[in-house]
Amino acid sequence: MTASTAQAAPARPEHEVLRSQQWGLLASLLVAAPDRDTLDLLAGLTGDETALGQAYAVLARTAAEADAEDVAREFFELFVGVGRGELLPFASFYITGFLNERPLADLRHDLQLMGVERAAGRFEPEDHIASLSEIMAGLAVGDFDASVLGCGAAGEAGFFARHLAPWVGQFFDDLAVAPSARFYRAVAEVGRIFTDIEMRAFELEAAAHRGSGGRTV
Amino acid sequence: MPREVLRLAVLGVSHPPANVWARRVVRPAALMAEIPPLERGALMTEQGEVRTYYMGDHAVVLHSGETSHYIDNLRAARPSLWVSCDGDTVRLVTADPYEGEAMASDPERIVEALAMPPAVAARIEAFIAAHHVEEVFHKRKRVPVNMDHDPRAKRILTDGEKWVQSRGKAGLPPKGGE
Repeated sequence: MTASTAQAAPARPEHEVLRSQQWGLLASLLVAAPDRDTLDLLAGLTGDETALGQAYAVLARTAAEADAEDVAREFFELFVGVGRGELLPFASFYITGFLNERPLADLRHDLQLMGVERAAGRFEPEDHIASLSEIMAGLAVGDFDASVLGCGAAGEAGFFARHLAPWVGQFFDDLAVAPSARFYRAVAEVGRIFTDIEMRAFELEAAAHRGSGGRTV
Repeated sequence: MPREVLRLAVLGVSHPPANVWARRVVRPAALMAEIPPLERGALMTEQGEVRTYYMGDHAVVLHSGETSHYIDNLRAARPSLWVSCDGDTVRLVTADPYEGEAMASDPERIVEALAMPPAVAARIEAFIAAHHVEEVFHKRKRVPVNMDHDPRAKRILTDGEKWVQSRGKAGLPPKGGE
């Protein structure tokens, strides 16, 4: 796949920058409906024969055929709605069944430790999938630092395991089958495969860490 | 919201004052469905000391949202129109009895319920027939807690569960369509 245009700090390895860009892409598509320019950029994406590459190819094809107004309406039906949208993309809702529950409080606590706070003009609670994706993007390139977090949530892997891993797969599955999803079905596919790779990579990393002389309990 | 405007002529009667300190007051006394070719304030008849003045013509606005009030009005022993005046000036003529009685609560105003001309009654009946929507009063009751029902919201809202306005006037298809 082709990298998007963002330039990252030179010290970070390339794969981290690419990971960050993919998290950023998910964040930007899930926070608001993409406009025509964004759709045109998405239409230029290409993918190799891996599952993720194929998902990006499908996303590019869908973006090329999509009408920006239809996508905006679809975004409204999915995430805004009258009363509520078809989906509630919040960690608290997926983990507990209710909005603004303890998972959000835990996340706010961790963000406070990390020194991350909600941007002015953003009104969604912090456990929205887009803000969590944005935080993951920042963690991947080192804009944010999760090493201060304790209780098994330290580092990028710990943050992911605590705040995203329990529900993100279920969320993208739901996004793929939501009645109004057309363009977002392709996004869900990318998100599902990408987060799955992330999850397995973090597990591999943890296993390698344990194997290489970590304490055996 | 559909509405209809009728115009009515208002006649006022002024009786001689009952004592030397009181002054003459013109009170609305009758309504005419046909508007006479007269100036506002013109003296129409004088029978002894009792004078009848023409108080001008005034609009009666029928609103489709208040058809149930008009039905109550027409079902009364004497269907009426409420005329509310500030001094000699007619401020409001209404077919809605509740609006009329609300105006009557102000002691500064002169409010009279006058017999509705049959022609006006017929037009109000036609308006009701065209625009009335029957709304049944639904008394809400507390439902006991049922633990079989999962209080958590659904993860995915299906099309059938989305909010659509199906009851009330706004739920009807627009007039003139189809």
